[in-house]
Amino acid sequence: MDNITEFEPKIVAFVCNWCTYAGADLTGTSRLKYATNFKIIRFPCTGRIDYMLLLKAFAEGADGIIVSGCHPNDCHYTSGNFHARRRWVVFRGLLDFFGIDVRRICFSWVSAAEGGKWADLVNSTVAEIRELGAYKEYQKVAGYLEKEECNE
Amino acid sequence: MNKLIEKATSLLQEGVVTKVIGYEEGTEKPRPFFCEKAEDTSKLIYNSRCINNLAVYLTKPELLGTGKVAVVATLPTLRSIVQLAFENQLKEDKLVILTVTDSEEVIEFAGFAEIETYLKDFKLKIDQKEQDLIDKLEGMSKEERWTFWVEELSQCFKCYACRAACPMCYCTRCVVEVNCPQWVQPWASPLGNIEWQINRAMHLAGRCTGCGSCAEACPVGIPIDLLTRKMMEDLGEEFGVVPGQPNKNGNVLSTFKPEDKENFIR
Amino acid sequence: MSKIGVFICHCGENINGTVDCHKVAEEIAKVEGVEYALDYKYMCSDPGQTLIKQAIKEKGLDGVVVGSCSPRMHEPTFRRACAEAGLNPYLCEMANLREHCSWVHEKGEATTQKAIDLVKSLVEKVKRNKPLVNIEVPVTKKALVIGGGIAGIQASLDIANAGHKVILIEKDPSIGGHMSQLSETFPTLDCSQCILTPRMVEVAQHPNITLYTYAELEGLEGFIGNFKASIRLKAKSIDEKLCTGCGLCTTKCPNKKIPSEFNAGLGTRTAIYVPFPQAVPNKPVIDKEHCTYYQKGKCRVCEKFCPTGAITFNQEDRIITEEIGAVVITTGFNVLKTDYFPEYGYGKYKDVINGLQFERLASASGPTYGEIRRPSDGKIPQKIVFIACAGSRDPAKGIPYCSKICCMYTAKHAMLYQHKVHGGESYVFYMDIRAAGKNYDEFVRRAIEEDGVNYVRGRVARVYEKDGKLIVKGVDTLLGAKPVEIEADMVVLATAGIANKGAEQLAQKLHVSYDSYNFFAEAHPKLKPVETNTAGIFLAGACQSPKDIPETVGMASGAAVKVAGLFSQDKLVREPLIAVVNRSAPPIFSTCVGCFMCQTACPYQAIEREEIKNRNGEIIKTVAKINPGLCQGCGTCVAFCRSKSIDIQGYSNEQVYAEVMALLNN
Repeated sequence: MDNITEFEPKIVAFVCNWCTYAGADLTGTSRLKYATNFKIIRFPCTGRIDYMLLLKAFAEGADGIIVSGCHPNDCHYTSGNFHARRRWVVFRGLLDFFGIDVRRICFSWVSAAEGGKWADLVNSTVAEIRELGAYKEYQKVAGYLEKEECNE
Repeated sequence: MNKLIEKATSLLQEGVVTKVIGYEEGTEKPRPFFCEKAEDTSKLIYNSRCINNLAVYLTKPELLGTGKVAVVATLPTLRSIVQLAFENQLKEDKLVILTVTDSEEVIEFAGFAEIETYLKDFKLKIDQKEQDLIDKLEGMSKEERWTFWVEELSQCFKCYACRAACPMCYCTRCVVEVNCPQWVQPWASPLGNIEWQINRAMHLAGRCTGCGSCAEACPVGIPIDLLTRKMMEDLGEEFGVVPGQPNKNGNVLSTFKPEDKENFIR
Repeated sequence: MSKIGVFICHCGENINGTVDCHKVAEEIAKVEGVEYALDYKYMCSDPGQTLIKQAIKEKGLDGVVVGSCSPRMHEPTFRRACAEAGLNPYLCEMANLREHCSWVHEKGEATTQKAIDLVKSLVEKVKRNKPLVNIEVPVTKKALVIGGGIAGIQASLDIANAGHKVILIEKDPSIGGHMSQLSETFPTLDCSQCILTPRMVEVAQHPNITLYTYAELEGLEGFIGNFKASIRLKAKSIDEKLCTGCGLCTTKCPNKKIPSEFNAGLGTRTAIYVPFPQAVPNKPVIDKEHCTYYQKGKCRVCEKFCPTGAITFNQEDRIITEEIGAVVITTGFNVLKTDYFPEYGYGKYKDVINGLQFERLASASGPTYGEIRRPSDGKIPQKIVFIACAGSRDPAKGIPYCSKICCMYTAKHAMLYQHKVHGGESYVFYMDIRAAGKNYDEFVRRAIEEDGVNYVRGRVARVYEKDGKLIVKGVDTLLGAKPVEIEADMVVLATAGIANKGAEQLAQKLHVSYDSYNFFAEAHPKLKPVETNTAGIFLAGACQSPKDIPETVGMASGAAVKVAGLFSQDKLVREPLIAVVNRSAPPIFSTCVGCFMCQTACPYQAIEREEIKNRNGEIIKTVAKINPGLCQGCGTCVAFCRSKSIDIQGYSNEQVYAEVMALLNN
């Protein structure tokens, strides 16, 4: 059992199927090791990632989020990542103005060949979030009225 | 004012329109007025206290099938009309759009393109008080900003007046009404209030015309128009978005440039 | 209530070595909706798959989650197994417990817990999966090839020989392209026209190929398997059925001084002309812009002499429409003219020519019958300078790329010159020598060692005329940047390969992407060189980037095979993981409000506008509609929709939301 007193961050990764998911597969085949704190959710393209999902992840207890996809010009669907990029620029600005900690959201481009980059990215993000600590402010606000929350 | 009343009367008497949407004097301040009879046109007023955005009525289903409608538009209303037209929500042949200049001349626009040209002379100005508040917020640390917004939004009881007043909120089924899955908690709670405002601001990205109706409509006086105005500023700087002059290529979020900034992406 | 079956694979020790698979299966069995959970050594093996099939039948499962390797490996395997057992294959998902879990973490509680969380989230997703059926789209088995150079000729022949109909359109009066302008080809010094013309004739005579020359694409609508092309057949002013190709008209035309495009401006032609003697079809056309009759209303001499009365003045352009299943773009490229270079004379010096013009001089059917002569005075040059990389690899001139073929053809030109002008001196100023094909380097060595071409490594700063000679001021960097000055009789610039004029407009008509140099974009730079991002439209040859003949022919055959593969089925079967706009009962019809932000964003133009009308034919509202033939399933439109009226099968909003919730709620 992990030491309960030491904080282990919970991180969710939203990745695109064609590049980052394949890159993470490559990290696996290369047997590079990284932290267990995060779990991957597969999307067909970064363009599919709804920004509300990021907020929902924070509300459900995530301390950090990774959003990753294909490099610009390499998108399997040609332009999904361009649209995602614009969306992130606007969303990030809005969140920052709101006072939400945007350091906890890590955006990156990881291609299918960058297994090493993925491992480094995960490790550094986990370390950063561990330093920042649990995202108590958001979870406190989200936990209010928990008993009355709908079970989906 | 007389020229406006004349114009409205003639439009109604000649049967060109079935309704003139304008402003009348209310108990404390001007309010929207739906004039259907030529005799009532004398109640029409137009001055700087007329701040409601009348474009919000132009997308209502009640107007379907009623024939042509005239609307007396202030500058914010005109910007909203241009934006709505760009989003295919208005039919040019079903509307007569009027405005009144500072010298009390009534202009009837021939079409949406003419409105756009007219608007080019009037740049959107943010009220100094609001600009000061935005600047103050930007100067705060992020924890302070968070505390500010959580406190402000703690008063919100989800009346959705902001949504009702905004002309850009014309969806038949709002995202907050989708419950499979529940994107935004529709009830009043700290999380629900925050999610709603963030979602609203994102949906207005590139579309908000800065009329301020949302903050006006809020019964508890939460400064929610700060969010959309800050977003307008940012989008204007980053992507050259100008309210009331929609980019013909498309909305700012549904288009892109290969050189968009990405210094925060690893 | 769902009945999900969960199968955890040990993958030998690959997963079981770090993850406690048995415990995972135990914990998952406790989740609501899971009917059956087990762990097994090798799920992808035959016995493993049999376990799944049996469980589906015996337990009546309505969803399957396999916790094993990456779905990129075995998703088709397990989906097929489910289909064979009678369960819709799209009700099967995989949790990646190997590449994303057991292979990257150490053995321990945390790793097992992560595996449990991952499987849980996929279980929640599968609960919301819907059974989907593959989409079938009919296919018209006719191909359109745009451009009649060697790429278009090769592609047309390959598709036609595979048994399918082809329409080949070419905007010039004859097919053949640039290859027909060459004198000899490297590295064999084969006569270019000798190897090309038999193919050209084959195209003309092939029963499956319909050839339209002097024709251009007017527009293209539709989608893969179901295009509609409108083609403009420009007026040739000739009745092709009556014309025998005798050529008498071309000898009688009084308007003889028009610069010949085929001879790259070095020769002349008449207004009624056949571009070159081996043209296919060998029938003339009248150039309306230079013909005396069309410009001034006089003449008509050709008409008087034509023995069959085939000249038909005042013929109009005709537009025809054809139903097409696939398009191959083979429009080729062009080379920069000499007027692009201020340092080499802005095109004013008649004896500074480009590579294509040199080909025409060297060609036996050219303006000088194969003798290398100066365009200014017709004398044979005794000293000739070839400048490689003229314009290419030069960011200052806006062309940073390498044009690939110039090193080889410059060596070829120098060799041809040495063969034709014994005792002549030739110099090649080069930056690098790129001779990377089969027998290419040996070819260049031959030029240097056997034919005595002088290769000087350095660039030429200026060329100017003095007393009838061209002074070439260059530098020899291998001798320490020593300045070199040559009094040449002729200078040949190996100018950069550029996109054809009109390439941008054609790309926009076809909705294919193109880069900043107007070369058409392939779908993937490594693995999809002949496809474009538009389904059903392929490309081959130099329209994608400058390349030599063997590569062009290879690409053309590649594109032809893609077309033949497309046509090998009567119906195109596609994965149904596409977007759908919701529809409901009147009076709402759809929650879509018709803002069409999705339409702007879709990279495949798969979103159309559907008008919903009432019984009187009046339009009530216009909503979005997805074309299932075009949608590739990226989901960008789904994330845009403010009212959440679009959803994507396989990654629907409900599924994705449930995945996120399940991952975080322990």
